[in-house]
Amino acid sequence: MTVPAALDRLADIRALVREVAIAGGAPPVCLDDLVQAVDEAATNIVVHGYGHEAGPIDIDARVEDEQIVIELRDRAPAFDPTEVPEPDLSIPPLQRRPGGMGLHLIRLSTDSMTYRPRAGGGNILTLTRTLDPRPKEER
Amino acid sequence: MALQTTVERVEARVPVTVVALDGELDASTYEHLIDDVRGLYQDGARKVVLDLSGLTYMASSGLIALHSIVQVMHGEQPPDLEGGWSAFHALGNAAEGGKQEDVLLAGAQPGVTRVLERTGLDQLFSSYPDRASAIAAA
Repeated sequence: MTVPAALDRLADIRALVREVAIAGGAPPVCLDDLVQAVDEAATNIVVHGYGHEAGPIDIDARVEDEQIVIELRDRAPAFDPTEVPEPDLSIPPLQRRPGGMGLHLIRLSTDSMTYRPRAGGGNILTLTRTLDPRPKEER
Repeated sequence: MALQTTVERVEARVPVTVVALDGELDASTYEHLIDDVRGLYQDGARKVVLDLSGLTYMASSGLIALHSIVQVMHGEQPPDLEGGWSAFHALGNAAEGGKQEDVLLAGAQPGVTRVLERTGLDQLFSSYPDRASAIAAA
């Protein structure tokens, strides 16, 4: 599926992920995790990648070896989110910069996040989540 | 699904403004929520219960909204959102950790609770199982 990079299309992207996850047999926490991870990644593409300018987001999802694999491809300037450091959660919430939590949530809601540059310019982010019914913290 | 907010004023031990959120709180809706609460504060609201029982999804931008709502209810100006998320700066004048009491949460579904816990923002809020218990505690 290709979706225009726009905040008002995020709901469509979440709906697609729900559809794929349910069809793939994802239990509730797994479903929530996938929706969160893809929504956060797509938001980053819209806000940071394209800087709210127009551009496409290509999304593919498949079930492979007991896990759901979702790939997001864009044509935004190259950016590797896997190199962004974890936020410091020991800082009291009101003293923290509240941004930067999206990647943290992606890391906690997926089993892997891999990045590679896209041929011809752009980025490919691949997110995987096992069908395990438990959140990552309890495994 | 878009976000719908419904406001109700309740005379409890103190006047409480209940803001019920229905739908999904994401990057396309979070600024509206902050604006709504800013309006309520300007109209005199000083104690807010956010009823999250109808909230089916909260993105990290929803956390920014919750964070900003606390600042609004403290009479502070939240950071300018127009400059994007990079406009946020360290907040030096905020309370030292702990839960604040101006904004209470009620009825959060498991997925929303997980987002709050995963980011540590649960430390900022007293959370209640439903609207009635949050109002009673306000």
